[in-house]
Amino acid sequence: MSDEPRGASSDPEADPTHPEAYVLNMGPQHPSMHGVLRLKLHMIGEEIVVAEPVIGYAHRAHEKMAENRNYLMFLPNSSRIDYLSGMIYNIGYCQAVEKLLEIEVPERAQYIRVIACELNRIASHLLWIGTYVLDIGGVTPFLYCWDDREQILDLLDAITGSRLTYSYGRFGGVTMDVDDAFLTGTRTFLERMKSRLPEYDTLVRKNVIFIERSRGVGIMDRQTCRAYGVTGPCLRAAGVAYDVRKSEPYGIYDRFDFAVPTESAGDCLARYDVRIREIEESLKIVTQAVRDLPAGPIMPDKPKKKFKPAEGASYFAVEAARGAFGMYLVSDGSEVPFKLKLRTPSFSNLSSMPKVLAGTMVADTIAIVGSLDIVLPEIDR
Amino acid sequence: MSPPETLVDKLDSPWLGVVLGVAAVLGMLTVNVLFLVWLERKVSAWIQRRMGPTEVGPFGLFQTLADMLKLLSKQLITPRHVDKPLYHLAPLVVFVPVVAAASLFPFSAGLVLQDLDIGLVLVFAFGGLAFVGIFMAGWGSNNKYALLGAMRSVAQNISYEIPLILASLSVVLMSGTMNLAKITALQSERGYWFIVLQPVAAVIYFIAALAETNRAPFDIPEAESELVAGFHTEYSGMRFALFFFAEYSNVFIVSMVATVLFLGGWSGPLLPGPVWFFLKVYALVGLTMWVRWTFPRLRFDQLMSFCWVVLTPLAILNLLITAFVARLV
Amino acid sequence: METPTRTGRLGRFFTGFGSLFHGLAVTSRHFGRTIFLRKNVTQQYPHEKPTLPKAYRSAIRLIRFPETDSHDCVGCKACERICPSACIAVDGGKVEGIKKKRASHFEMDFALCSLCGLCLDVCPTTTLEYSRLYDEAGYNRNWKHDLLAEFRAREPAFIAEQRQREQAEAEAKAQKAPKKEKPPKEGDAP
Repeated sequence: MSDEPRGASSDPEADPTHPEAYVLNMGPQHPSMHGVLRLKLHMIGEEIVVAEPVIGYAHRAHEKMAENRNYLMFLPNSSRIDYLSGMIYNIGYCQAVEKLLEIEVPERAQYIRVIACELNRIASHLLWIGTYVLDIGGVTPFLYCWDDREQILDLLDAITGSRLTYSYGRFGGVTMDVDDAFLTGTRTFLERMKSRLPEYDTLVRKNVIFIERSRGVGIMDRQTCRAYGVTGPCLRAAGVAYDVRKSEPYGIYDRFDFAVPTESAGDCLARYDVRIREIEESLKIVTQAVRDLPAGPIMPDKPKKKFKPAEGASYFAVEAARGAFGMYLVSDGSEVPFKLKLRTPSFSNLSSMPKVLAGTMVADTIAIVGSLDIVLPEIDR
Repeated sequence: MSPPETLVDKLDSPWLGVVLGVAAVLGMLTVNVLFLVWLERKVSAWIQRRMGPTEVGPFGLFQTLADMLKLLSKQLITPRHVDKPLYHLAPLVVFVPVVAAASLFPFSAGLVLQDLDIGLVLVFAFGGLAFVGIFMAGWGSNNKYALLGAMRSVAQNISYEIPLILASLSVVLMSGTMNLAKITALQSERGYWFIVLQPVAAVIYFIAALAETNRAPFDIPEAESELVAGFHTEYSGMRFALFFFAEYSNVFIVSMVATVLFLGGWSGPLLPGPVWFFLKVYALVGLTMWVRWTFPRLRFDQLMSFCWVVLTPLAILNLLITAFVARLV
Repeated sequence: METPTRTGRLGRFFTGFGSLFHGLAVTSRHFGRTIFLRKNVTQQYPHEKPTLPKAYRSAIRLIRFPETDSHDCVGCKACERICPSACIAVDGGKVEGIKKKRASHFEMDFALCSLCGLCLDVCPTTTLEYSRLYDEAGYNRNWKHDLLAEFRAREPAFIAEQRQREQAEAEAKAQKAPKKEKPPKEGDAP
């Protein structure tokens, strides 16, 4: 229970060729590994000397698929890159193509997009809280989070017809308008979360076991984050107030009043705190968007049928639940993208793992990897 | 106080007594474990706003029975690289001491299978024996996760046995006997339970018992998120069921010990002895379930330091004070 | 817990110990809500059927329009071309006796469909909609569904009716033809 950080080790025994070192293969078939990640752990006793993430088990060649179909046909792929915050990816892809094609999006559609994306972000963070507590052994909070998340999925289901892989956005707007039932449901959900968040606070955040398991565990400082390109809540937990919604506002995010929560410790506890506060900020954004939702169309008056951007390239980034998600689209003037490069946040976040995991105990491995909130299909793409 | 006649004494042939006794204990344990597993699933479901088993039998009561039948009928898979003698023997070595320990308890005045003067010592001794089996399972499985789980299990259980026994000793000091029936009778005679005089020992016992039975928040040996399933990773079918059975029986046994030591065993007004006994045992079991479904898990080093830095000194202190007071009184 | 220097080790110990009881209180509250108020949040699926939202996306089907009591698919293959999963196979064209083109073949592989809804977007006659199937499962790799099956029997009758409709239309047009200069608002009465 020592208070000193369990960060990078300067142990002289930290040598994979040490006679007592052995290799523990964790995943891709491990009951609580997140997705199909494989960790090759060189260990001495229960301490990790070298950790080696092995990825690629969920590779579906999304980038290559984009080169073989037109812009619209790639739409269903977008939310399958990261199925836990699929809405943000889906809308993000639409916005990237809209930027390339210079399509105007109606006001109402913009607001609906913000509501849907922020609800999706809350759902994703709730899932993370649940799985993180599950990683360190608490089962019940996981189901409470799941219950709350279910409310969001029901709401999104009502407007998109899907629960995870929404193909909700279209170039220029969204597929379906929101009705009063959805708005009432959203308001009810906002009310509900007001009583649920303090409950998580008592059950999870104030629990002494939770604190002992999280504080000082898996420290990622600013330098590490910079070096590896870590973004999202992990970066903000290290004290860098970088959020694409604030630093390079896209869509209509500049109209909303919200803060970018940061912590300084950079450990698992800080990442938990950042995410809880981000849920609060997202709730604020949804409240404002529901209040200000204008009337009007949800698609342009004359939607384009053919999407044929001029030759050129554009980069567009959105703040996904896990960090900055960037799309670099290159067009050769045809209906099919020449190249679509996806910059997914979990990939960069995971790449910091060898440094962070070295010198930690095997018991913390899953907790640290889990605290990044990685989604393997998003890493492999 | 004349020693109560035990059930075994009443029979003519001692061998028949042994067979019947083992059958009775096994039957009692099986019914209780089946009920316990059902209860665990129901309690966890209710805590998590779910329903739990509902389909098999009234309130899903026969769900665990169905599960047991399924496990019984499953093929026994022996992985290729296991150390066969150890691997095959381990479930039995874990299972048998549990049954032996369960035969020592007085469920009511006179309703006791083996009334021994060293009953308490024997219960802990049998408890200690099971860890040989756990380590055999971990070593024999030839699996890194199983070995890590077994090592943790043995380290944890040996450590937590110390506060567990120290806490029990403070009751022994007060009652002057290690006979479980006599300890109960004494509480019944004096009209109060030992938890009144020994609240600290009771709390220490409860916490140590949680660790001893590998229950959350101390379920580190089989911590799913780290070690797959711990020492029984490579076991399937009925072999796994034996480990499972032993685990839940252990929960039951430590609750029985706690009932005898701190809650006055079978003593209580109005209702007959066994009813009181089982009511108290199930109250304790319910408490362990409530704890399990609320808390996250400690890390191994935290668990050990909690034992050696907090629990053991506290238990020693409590024992010294008890000894001092007992000497004075 | 936040100010360890103030409270010291023992204080931290007791705060930590207390926090465990707060946690137990939360779970016991939920326990009570389930067991006494019967407010469990799970749906007992085979006993209770889910209520599907209006927008629910499932495998597509052809709309049966009440005016014609048939679908309106012209077999243009727009959906087949846009489908990212290539799970639609449409064929169709000219039918003897009527001007309107008709689909002769509309096969869909439910197992491949990713429910993106692009086919609904591109359909020129808006004759596609989502079905309300939610508990379907395919038992082999060829899980093809003939969406025209339910319309087949009525197809000859539809063609006959369509011929009449087209004739009536043509007559109406012929009547209108001399008065071509009139504003186009008039006429069109059904």
